[in-house]
Amino acid sequence: MAINISGISKRFGAFLALDKVDLHIQSGELLALLGPSGSGKTTLLRILGGLDRACGGTITFFGEAALGLTPRDRQVGFVFQHYSLFRHMTVRDNVAFGLDVRPRRDRLPRAVISERVARLLELVQLAPLADRYPAQLSGGQRQRVALARALAIEPKVLLLDEPFGALDAKVRKELRRWLRRLHDEMNITSIFVTHDQEEALEVADRVVVMNNGRIEQVGAPGEVYDHPASPFVYDFLGNVNRFECIISDGTAKIVSIGLTMPAIGAEPGPALAFVRPHDIELIRLDAATGDAGGGGVACARVRHIHAIGPTARIELDIEGHRFEAVMDQDRLRCLGVRAGDWCGVRLTRPRLFSSNSAALIQE
Amino acid sequence: MEPQEASICLAPPLSAVKPPWYAFVLGLAKVVSLSHERGLFRATRGSRGMLVRYSILPGFGLTLGISMAWLGLIVLVPLAALAIHAGGLGWSGFWAEVSTPRVLSAFRVSCTTALAAALINVVFGLLVAWVLVRYRFPGQRLVDALVDLPFALPTAVAGIALTSLYATNGWIGSILAEWGVKVAFTPLGIVVALTFIGLPFVVRTVEPVLQDLAPEEEEVAMSLGASRWQTFIRVILPALTPALLTGFALAFARGLGEYGSVIFIAGNMPGISEIVPLLIIIKLEQFSYQGATAIGTLMLVLSFILLLVINLLQAWMRGRHHVS
Repeated sequence: MAINISGISKRFGAFLALDKVDLHIQSGELLALLGPSGSGKTTLLRILGGLDRACGGTITFFGEAALGLTPRDRQVGFVFQHYSLFRHMTVRDNVAFGLDVRPRRDRLPRAVISERVARLLELVQLAPLADRYPAQLSGGQRQRVALARALAIEPKVLLLDEPFGALDAKVRKELRRWLRRLHDEMNITSIFVTHDQEEALEVADRVVVMNNGRIEQVGAPGEVYDHPASPFVYDFLGNVNRFECIISDGTAKIVSIGLTMPAIGAEPGPALAFVRPHDIELIRLDAATGDAGGGGVACARVRHIHAIGPTARIELDIEGHRFEAVMDQDRLRCLGVRAGDWCGVRLTRPRLFSSNSAALIQE
Repeated sequence: MEPQEASICLAPPLSAVKPPWYAFVLGLAKVVSLSHERGLFRATRGSRGMLVRYSILPGFGLTLGISMAWLGLIVLVPLAALAIHAGGLGWSGFWAEVSTPRVLSAFRVSCTTALAAALINVVFGLLVAWVLVRYRFPGQRLVDALVDLPFALPTAVAGIALTSLYATNGWIGSILAEWGVKVAFTPLGIVVALTFIGLPFVVRTVEPVLQDLAPEEEEVAMSLGASRWQTFIRVILPALTPALLTGFALAFARGLGEYGSVIFIAGNMPGISEIVPLLIIIKLEQFSYQGATAIGTLMLVLSFILLLVINLLQAWMRGRHHVS
């Protein structure tokens, strides 16, 4: 176990940014803290890095209590969203900074420093730009310098605060794959903060979904995506259709679209049904006639079809209630459904959550 | 340096002769309008090597013309007239006027005291700006407003107030006198007055830069293991240096030209605590207009060289940090 966080709280005035957070981070893993703004993810990262103080709780780094330690003694590398390079220093001097400022007795000989800096610049593919100033670099290059600078002090833990947030979409994609490869080579325990679910799911070994200062769910990307533990995680990760329904006598009824589904043993009361767009099945209406409404098939109007790339996004409408389905272009072509047509709809894998307690009722 | 002083000595000759600046401004206006007609300054998009980049607001020719005419009228004409008038002395006459021991020592006093005051202001002005930008405390607005007071206060008032405070029987002067330090009526008194006058220049130039300085750079330095002192010296100070230099230059230039507050506290002993602006007034009172213009011209040249050097230094620094 690399990092143990238990009961960490942080309050800014009346605002509770972190509410008794517990988290265990494995040595060598790449962990994503994912959540909307204000969820406390950056605050947690800053507390880990020693840039903010916690109001309560404990943190241990490799078995050693960390909260009393200065950022220097924690041996963490911190990378900020806006790079925060020292603009009056060259790329080389930026990377060497952490080694140059060591107390004289710990400082490495000049030759060793410059050799290590050269190696790092090679690693981040910026060796030819060593003598440039930050203002002369692109956003992606600046972020790589910031990363090299953080790695120069050979940190035990690497903390990245929205590392790709300020970059454009293409550079962002390249850089996050590159970060993944780099992590696989170096194997430093790394934690990065992001509000971009795609980024978290693609890069991280494990994803921590946060909301309102609490951890909603921790798990591998596939697990978090396929088995969300709460309505919030469902809403936040990927597209999802959300239907209000009422449970009574072992069935859940979605009033708005007139569909029922079994909910055996569930407490009666209001509930929420979540269905991913690719779990909505479209049926040609002539095949669906006769059992529309009763056997889990509803009649829907196709409002619009967005057909770009291999998949098509179909906007559906049942009496003014809109939702979305996704399917392969090929399948859509077989179905022969067009905008304005009527078709049958079946929800294949709905998940029910209680409206009152947000607890999972049924897979 | 100070246009008022220059115009005092220039009033008689200028009113006697046909005003020479009339032709100068006319000529300037003609040059600008001609070049505008020929499209020399016309804003064009995309074509390289032109004088101007494309701008949303039109009228570069007009605005440049007005700026140049205005600058000429307000700054260049009085200064040129000063130089021309001093030129009437010839090199040897000029040299004879400015190389007397009294003039030279006045220059020495003016330069050293202005330099010392500007340096003190750089240190404490930075401190004041830091406190005002980085911390929130009760009465902050009041302190903020206080900083500008030296701008607004008539300098003579400041001089008299400082003199009464620092005289050997004054509140501060009496305490200092016990330690054997004499402030009023010595060059040290001049430094005190100039420090008072120059403080807002440094505070007001550093403040906006400090506001823009992201605290993240300091946090990065901390997380990389830098101590507070190292963070200040290696991260914050270099970012502030251009603004500090500007503040220093302004405070220094103002200190060279300052008259009102200094004459009360200085004691004005020739060779010891007599400043250049005072010497100019003395020359004028003795109807030595040429002597006054000669001293004024030398001061002008010195100040100009100094400001030019500081500007070049800044341009060089900026060129390093920003995209060329």
